[in-house]
Amino acid sequence: MGRPRRTWLKLVSPLAWSRKDSEQRFLASFSETERGSSVDMLAACELTERRDLRRKYFIHALDEARHSRMFARRAKEFGARQSRARAALDDANTLQTHGIVMGRPLFERYGELEFLAFVCRSEAMAVEQFGVYRELDFLDDKTNVMLDNILRDEHFHVGYSRTELERYTRQGRGAEVTWAQRKVFWRRPWEAWMRFSLRVGHVVTGIWMTLLYVLVVAPFKLGARREAAGWRAVKPDPRSRMAAARGQG
Amino acid sequence: MATWILGVSALFHDSAVALLRDGEVVAAAQEERFTRIKHDHELPVRAAEWALAEAGIEPTDLDWLVFYEKPLAKFQRILVNSVAEFPRAWRSFPRAMQSWLGRKLWVAGELSRTFHVPPQKLLFSQHHQSHAASAFLTSPFEDAAILTVDGVGELATTGLWRGRPEAPHIEPVAEVVFPHSLGLFYSAMTAFLGFAVNEGEYKVMGMAAFGEPVFMDEMRKLVRLDDNGGFTLDLEAFCWHWHPTESYTTRLVGILGTPRFPGTPFDPTTQEGKHWANIAASTQAMLEEALLHVARHARERIDSPNLCLAGGVALNAVANTRLAEAGPFENIWVQPAAGDAGGALGAALWAWHDVLEKPRTPGPFVCSLGRSWDADTAAELLEDLRAPRERLTEDTWLERVVDDLEGGGVVGWFQGRAELGPRALGQRSILADPRGEATRDRVNARIKFRESFRPFAPAVTAEAADRYFDIHPALAGPVRHMVATATVKPEHRELLAAVTHVDGSARVQVVHAEDSPRFHALLTAFGARTGLPVLLNTSFNLKGDPIVDTPIDALAALYSSDLDAVYVGRHRVTRSERVRGGDLKEYLPEEIRNAGAAPAR
Repeated sequence: MGRPRRTWLKLVSPLAWSRKDSEQRFLASFSETERGSSVDMLAACELTERRDLRRKYFIHALDEARHSRMFARRAKEFGARQSRARAALDDANTLQTHGIVMGRPLFERYGELEFLAFVCRSEAMAVEQFGVYRELDFLDDKTNVMLDNILRDEHFHVGYSRTELERYTRQGRGAEVTWAQRKVFWRRPWEAWMRFSLRVGHVVTGIWMTLLYVLVVAPFKLGARREAAGWRAVKPDPRSRMAAARGQG
Repeated sequence: MATWILGVSALFHDSAVALLRDGEVVAAAQEERFTRIKHDHELPVRAAEWALAEAGIEPTDLDWLVFYEKPLAKFQRILVNSVAEFPRAWRSFPRAMQSWLGRKLWVAGELSRTFHVPPQKLLFSQHHQSHAASAFLTSPFEDAAILTVDGVGELATTGLWRGRPEAPHIEPVAEVVFPHSLGLFYSAMTAFLGFAVNEGEYKVMGMAAFGEPVFMDEMRKLVRLDDNGGFTLDLEAFCWHWHPTESYTTRLVGILGTPRFPGTPFDPTTQEGKHWANIAASTQAMLEEALLHVARHARERIDSPNLCLAGGVALNAVANTRLAEAGPFENIWVQPAAGDAGGALGAALWAWHDVLEKPRTPGPFVCSLGRSWDADTAAELLEDLRAPRERLTEDTWLERVVDDLEGGGVVGWFQGRAELGPRALGQRSILADPRGEATRDRVNARIKFRESFRPFAPAVTAEAADRYFDIHPALAGPVRHMVATATVKPEHRELLAAVTHVDGSARVQVVHAEDSPRFHALLTAFGARTGLPVLLNTSFNLKGDPIVDTPIDALAALYSSDLDAVYVGRHRVTRSERVRGGDLKEYLPEEIRNAGAAPAR
């Protein structure tokens, strides 16, 4: 991670946390992130073929689930008025921060070695971030105690994943480890860029669709009317059953 | 050559698959059980992979893949509604277009690519047709009136169908269309009461028992029952037809007062708590009144004493019971995956019986259609996790479970194939002794981490059900699947305090040996020891998680809650610090290790 990120965190964190309702917003967002991580780690626990790692993944998953509950509880104590915070704390499915793409968990998409490199880097970043929070000491005592508790677990996560990567290196797979670490390093800005692009695309298409609605759809309003209430008979489909079943409309 | 049909429901909520071999269901599961994302709406890739592997076939062996609704018809409804609601739908239109033009409109291609099925093998059922098929084609009836009630499908929100002994088995009769929707009405009231839509509806149902329906005059203005057997909603009080995220307007707030803030503690003994309970009771009573009205109309139009119910609203156990008690039908059937997950099952069954015109023989329906784990694989996983476990013998294991339960323990019960649908019916359950309210409070607070007012369900052997519960004879089918309620006999309410709701009702599961032999054996053993063949049975999951599906999920629940033990097959697993073992300290930085701070559990 290094000095630039740490310096940046030191500069930005107190400002970011001083904004109105920032506590519940950040804590709720941490809660969701940890919950997503827990899902990813449980999947790794199930899918790994390395039986010696299964228990570590399992403990890691339990830790993340517990952190999620701790963050959520603390966010609730702050009031959780923001809608995102509110949603994340509710028990409905709002879980979006996870590594599953088209049913494929992070572990399956990355493979063991790259997954470990990802875990090591992500957890090290969390240690750095929470470490800065503690160092600057701008949070309240109760949140600080919670962060200390969580930091201990994060150190364990960094420790075991780093040890495993070192083991791979000792086994003569150093080049693979380095390559995986580089991929993990560069994937983060790439994914951030993709998310940014998607958001821009979303805004642009949103504007176009709004214009379409206002300029093109408007005239059709004259001929459109809402469906009537109450029962209405269903006409039998004139097509054969197979033809009707093949149709999408 | 066998005919293989894969039913798929996806892209909205609760995606699932159901695999048929010559019309027989060989596997069915929800994607959420695999991904651990509750109500997962993505294409059920992992569930499908598992189902095909379970059957020992490849995607190329599939004869048909049936999607549970018609995407173009749904898109048409969204377009027409956006025009009809101009200009106030200006915020929902762009969102809907992004979602539909970006993905949902092209679902055929995505299904074909994802499941490796050529486009000519794709079929599309209608949303409510899938629901209707999931109910009638799993029912024990030769003929029936079928009511499908949910939020919205393509255009319909409520469907009336005729179930026939020969093809077409499902014949459409009439429908009520969007935006008039009983499902959306209940969901809007769920949001008004501060609960999450598609999740909190059960809470409204539970909360209703604490109140009185004192707002019925207001409710009857919101949902007007028409002379023709249908209903009309006051669409100025609701906005699901033009707002992208909200479901009710200031008009509803004007009628019922300030909405409940999410997360506010609910205490029915306070004036505020009573107010929310009264709104919940009025909402529930209005839903029941409307359903009864619709059911009476169905009875007038369809000459059958049998009623099949499906759609999300059919999961409202209290309303189902009211239909049995006051409705015009002699028999009612609801299968446990009545929501969208069951759409996959219905679509597949519909294709077999109505598109391919295969005859149907009504028979028993068992919902244990999901993943199971053989003893060796489960043992290996448990061994890897160093979880303390005992492997019990055939002769002793049930006695050991009873020991735990009788001693006040709360145990996880992980046996056989997982259930389809939201109900835990003795395959993936948390079980406890139903005697005493303390058990209920402990399970709510320290195991399920959920609101204290929510009731728990009892499971009872079929042989003893009548001794403890008054069950309406029309509900013999639904009570097998915990989708109806019964009245706990007054003389047993004190005894069954943990599973008797405040109004004396219970969402009972009547367990037959042929449905769930192990669970039935456990109930019998518990009855032999205590004289009470009844157990508290709740789904094996923690708050916000789907029901557990693997031994690892089960252990994660054990280690994250106050559960006393988990029974994975005949393995009894308990909690221990061994899992986190001292050897893991080596991974901590020296300063933390020296400070004696082992990673906290």
